[in-house]
Amino acid sequence: MFGTFDTPLNINESGIFLSIENKEKVQFYSRECLGEKIETHLITEKNKILIHPVEPVNIPKKITQYFLIEFDKSIFIEPNGKNTIYVKFPIEIGVFTSGKKDIEIIDVFSIVPQKYSIYGDPRNGVLCRYYLSEVFYSIPQTDLLQEGVVELNIINTTSKWVELTKAVFNAYGMKMYYDNNLVAMKANIRILGEEIAETYFINASLQSGMKKAMELYTAKKIHVNITRFVMEWSL
Amino acid sequence: MNFTDILESIPSSTSPFFRFLVIIGILIFTALLGKVITIYLRRSLKEKMSREHLEITLKVLYYSLVVLVAILFILPLLGIEPSGLIVAGGIAGIIIGFASQSIVSNLISGIFLMIERPIKIGNQVKVDGISGWVEDINIISTIIRTYDGLYVRVPNDKVFTTNLINYVENVARRFEYEVGIRYSDDADQAIGIIKDVIHAHPFALVNPKPSVFLDSLGDNSMNIKVRIWAPASEWFGVKTELLWKIKTTIEENGIEVPFPQRTIWFGNETKKEELPGSQ
Repeated sequence: MFGTFDTPLNINESGIFLSIENKEKVQFYSRECLGEKIETHLITEKNKILIHPVEPVNIPKKITQYFLIEFDKSIFIEPNGKNTIYVKFPIEIGVFTSGKKDIEIIDVFSIVPQKYSIYGDPRNGVLCRYYLSEVFYSIPQTDLLQEGVVELNIINTTSKWVELTKAVFNAYGMKMYYDNNLVAMKANIRILGEEIAETYFINASLQSGMKKAMELYTAKKIHVNITRFVMEWSL
Repeated sequence: MNFTDILESIPSSTSPFFRFLVIIGILIFTALLGKVITIYLRRSLKEKMSREHLEITLKVLYYSLVVLVAILFILPLLGIEPSGLIVAGGIAGIIIGFASQSIVSNLISGIFLMIERPIKIGNQVKVDGISGWVEDINIISTIIRTYDGLYVRVPNDKVFTTNLINYVENVARRFEYEVGIRYSDDADQAIGIIKDVIHAHPFALVNPKPSVFLDSLGDNSMNIKVRIWAPASEWFGVKTELLWKIKTTIEENGIEVPFPQRTIWFGNETKKEELPGSQ
């Protein structure tokens, strides 16, 4: 489903009905998913349609840029230890129109239920998109339209055993890659203290041949300074 | 030797050119001192005040310093005795002070509001019984747009001295319901259903956890308390959506919200049954 397409376009997959019809210089876009129906018009002579996985912090409403993955089982990592784990994250699908050297998002949707949480306390914490994931030690099987995989390199820089139960990311730093079978990204979590860690994404594909997904904040021309996140209210 | 001694040491017969140089020197020194003070205050207050308000406050302080120095040090050099001005100014000051008491009070409150920043533009607040969005915070007054679209100008001393509620200062806020069910219903089942409904809503937060528990055995119903945390910006929508979903879902599962009811026993009914020949 992901890729770049010409119009007209018809997609009927996993409960997603997406179509673009051409009528002279107007395109009629319609999308139906989980009972929600969106219709819009595109006035264009020539364009491309891009359907890409996007940062999972946009629906039902953009209220945060942070994303929290809670592990179903906690991980204890030895002093100065390193290891790589794989966790899943929910997929949001972005539909872009591209033409005349510009690109614009026209729709974002998902077939995965959304949930939000606070990392920290209600006074000082941050609002995050929440996802509970199993922890894997090799790339897990996923449904392409529902879940992606984060390869998470855990680096314990302290001289103590540290328990890790979650990872919080700044979605503005996400570097997502996709192919016909997998949506994936790579990230590091550097444990700096018993209660402090830093997370950031690595701009590299998990497997060879994967294509880079469009970054939503790039399409929206949002200038981003900080792409890392410091976890300072428990790990 | 202090500054007054220095001034007195300048003889009145000194050439006008020398006096002019002294005045220019004092002004340059004052300007530099003012710059140093404003740089220090800008660094100290930049986290506490918005840039626009900080610049206004610093300008007011800077020019006040220049005027003060001019009155105290430059006027004597020009042959004008400030003591006379101070007497006249004192009387005028009392009159102006009484007349502008509320304006000064609002101005000072405005400066403290800008430093303390209990509210920001766009926040949802309740001030002196007025609820709405903060449209603007000026040096004298705060503008609130009420939920029914009215423009309300609240003087800053009201904002500063009365109880102020900022609904969105914290990331999340909690709301609660009380759901009554019949005594014949299964409270555990009702609690399970309510938890499922909460879990299905994206903005009913995972952490802090929602709590659902049997709170009291009332006159007409068992009362289940439901406490939910939601993002501060979304709580009202979540509150209104969830109550209806909880109501419809528990009813779909055969649990009913009872009406108030009372069983009345009539004493004479018993006596009637005891009478001979009665049926």
